[in-house]
Amino acid sequence: MVEPSNDLQRHLQLLSAQFAERLAQELPELAGKAQLLRDANDQESQRQHLLSLRDQLHKLAGAAGTFGFVSLGQRTQALEQQAIRWLDALQQEQQGLHDFIADLQQLSQQQFQIELAQESTPATPKTAKSSSATHCIYILEDEPTIGENMRLTLSNFGYQAEHFTRIADLDAALQRQLPDALVIDVNLPGEAQTGLNYAAALQQRLDEPLPLLVITTQDDFTTQLEAVRAGAMGFFSKPVDIPQLENRLERCFAQQYGEPYRVLIVDDDRELASRYSLVLRSANMLVEALNDPADIFSHMRTFNPEVVLLDVNMPGCTGPELAQIIRLNDDWLRVPIIYLSAETDISRQMSALLKAGDDFVTKPISDNALVAAVFARAQRARLLSNALSRDSLTGLLKHADIKEQVAIELERALRGGSQASVVMLDIDHFKKVNDSYGHPAGDNVIRALANLLRQRLRRVDSLGRYGGEEFLAVLPECPPEQAQRIIDEIRQRFADLRFIVEGTEFAVTLSAGISCTDADISASELLERADRALYAAKESGRDRVCQAD
Amino acid sequence: MHELTRILHVEDDPSIQAVAKVALEAVGGFKVLSCSSGQDALDQVQGFAPDFILLDVMMPGMDGPQTLKKISALIDIGQIPVAFMTAKVQPAEIEHYRSLGARDVIIKPFDPMQLAEQVRRIWSQARG
Repeated sequence: MVEPSNDLQRHLQLLSAQFAERLAQELPELAGKAQLLRDANDQESQRQHLLSLRDQLHKLAGAAGTFGFVSLGQRTQALEQQAIRWLDALQQEQQGLHDFIADLQQLSQQQFQIELAQESTPATPKTAKSSSATHCIYILEDEPTIGENMRLTLSNFGYQAEHFTRIADLDAALQRQLPDALVIDVNLPGEAQTGLNYAAALQQRLDEPLPLLVITTQDDFTTQLEAVRAGAMGFFSKPVDIPQLENRLERCFAQQYGEPYRVLIVDDDRELASRYSLVLRSANMLVEALNDPADIFSHMRTFNPEVVLLDVNMPGCTGPELAQIIRLNDDWLRVPIIYLSAETDISRQMSALLKAGDDFVTKPISDNALVAAVFARAQRARLLSNALSRDSLTGLLKHADIKEQVAIELERALRGGSQASVVMLDIDHFKKVNDSYGHPAGDNVIRALANLLRQRLRRVDSLGRYGGEEFLAVLPECPPEQAQRIIDEIRQRFADLRFIVEGTEFAVTLSAGISCTDADISASELLERADRALYAAKESGRDRVCQAD
Repeated sequence: MHELTRILHVEDDPSIQAVAKVALEAVGGFKVLSCSSGQDALDQVQGFAPDFILLDVMMPGMDGPQTLKKISALIDIGQIPVAFMTAKVQPAEIEHYRSLGARDVIIKPFDPMQLAEQVRRIWSQARG
């Protein structure tokens, strides 16, 4: 019972990427603890900080190597040993503690990479895909200025982008490393073939096709059909609206690297249940199988499935009965239920669906058909559940949810003795954008800022759309000076973006205000202060970031 | 003869928990229940009825050795082998864990592709 190795490999890569994101948060935490250790002025508090450092280093030492961060694993293990020695030696000497602290702080400044090719991993493809958390994009565009502009913009969004003007150069780069996506211009007057012919041939050569975005001056039906046949996931006319292109890339990756869907199977036939599990797992889903319908509650609660597959005929309790039981609970109303059955009588299928349940899959079913049926339901269910709590234009949290986040982080900051920053951002002269270029252009600007924020902020940060063109970000464990640096960088990158509507290029700026938690401030005061700082930024000329007084 | 199919994994670090689950399920074909704390494991061990238990040593609250002690009051660890997982490597420590009733120690970092095989080996040895 072995999952096809490339799926497993992809799954492990996803977990490594998630671990890399965790590092981005944990390494600064280590530096923060090192700072606390340095500032501690009695042995008891030194001991407390050392204990906390030792535990965190221990965790990192165990995990880093498992995810391929070999040298980080070795460094943290050595530091853990040092922490243990210091815990024993605190009374005797204080001298060398300084070096230990410096080592820790240096560690958090360093970039760590996944080091590949342990002997035991199954055959890796000839050219490995980039495995870091940053997505790598190759651009083939024969006009140097356009290509370079695209590269810069995508880099601003946090991608690792490379630009090539000739097919030969792109080919050479592909030999070294495969990107996560390709952007290809169709019209290449200097080459023997069109960009699409090249892309189609390239996709044939690869084990798995790469996400492809196509840019062109011809947007006729034939070209679009050719693009789809070459595996294009996006099609853009020149001049290209790059933020829109970026939005499409983001969607591609969300689909590709999103969390696996969770599927619960209830079938009294153990063999069949494990067969279905295997098929769905090899399609990168997480599966739990259940043979006794009476166990349904604990599985629904702990596993929280996104789709339930029910056998129709089970002893003791039929599928439709079990579906009705599931539907009795309000929490599970949204979970799609698919029946698995040998039943081909349409009228009996109908009567089962009328009781409860959403779909019927008839046994025997091919592996592909099963995957397709479950995948479609799961995807839809997840989209819907996101849509209910998230803003539809930007995918960010809605007003009430982000506001709640402010209160949560304030409380956490007070408990942990750290500082959190609250940032209110507003797009400058947004009404003018809508008036001059139309509402779709305005929406595009809002989406671009949302994506930029998502790319540049940490995973622990919360981000919401507060009002029409107003955004709110909550940055835990982030003192105001640091927040100022981060947000100012985002402000500059946003101002550098070029939007295009019907051939006219325009740029937009933003203003932001930052407030910071302290001992006796309420959540609403925090928001008010950030709002006042934003107002001050607007008053003093816009396109700037101001701190609350 | 009893077979190795169900593994209870106790580990507070979510990244390690996830990668071990994937590795044991996909490579080994086992059924894995992940618990995030010793208490969680005590609550679930009888209901899940594992064939093998993997226990992280250093956990906040109840650590691995304490968990093992309490688990052995609930189930027969002579029948259900327990292995520790830890980043510490001193031979004396391994001996200490054995004396507590653990069959073996799996060293972190581990190779996800090899984990299932390591578990299977310890299990077979324990079953004689």
